[in-house]
Amino acid sequence: MKLAKVTGVVWATQKAKELNGCRLFLVQPISGMDEQPNGKPFVAADPRNLAASGDKVIVVTSTDAAQAFDSGFAPVNASIVQLLDDLD
Amino acid sequence: MFLARVKRKVIASAKHPAYEGKRVFVVQRVNPDGQEVGEEWLAMDYVSAGIDDIVVCGGAPGVAKEVFQLDLAPIRTLIIAIVDTIDYKDIE
Repeated sequence: MKLAKVTGVVWATQKAKELNGCRLFLVQPISGMDEQPNGKPFVAADPRNLAASGDKVIVVTSTDAAQAFDSGFAPVNASIVQLLDDLD
Repeated sequence: MFLARVKRKVIASAKHPAYEGKRVFVVQRVNPDGQEVGEEWLAMDYVSAGIDDIVVCGGAPGVAKEVFQLDLAPIRTLIIAIVDTIDYKDIE
């Protein structure tokens, strides 16, 4: 799992059928310490419609990303699963 | 997943049965401005992409097996969306 900041929306009308109704976001992994960029940006699915541009989110990667979908399957390797309010 | 531009179609006559009837493309990673950065990948088409399209590519173990309903799928990277536009703001 990674902490990331949503930096953009990727609009795509033509996409895998499993992704219907699911938005795709550009996310930049950030450090939990100072919120500075921590790795390369990538694209993540948002199956629960949680995020908007500028939000800090928790992203699950690899095989487990599909588990974020109600159907239990989608051809993705990164899903937004939580909005981050704060770090203590 | 990552953003990429579709560059070329891979032509192959001898192939693993899982690749029968499917299209594989050379894709070049791009940044949100469409500028080519980083490495090239091969990706299997799942959304009827074409040359020069900006696409979202990705894959995880078992994904190809599920989407193509195959028993054995030695396939990793798929093209899963064709990008229309990107609203993007770089973070400091």
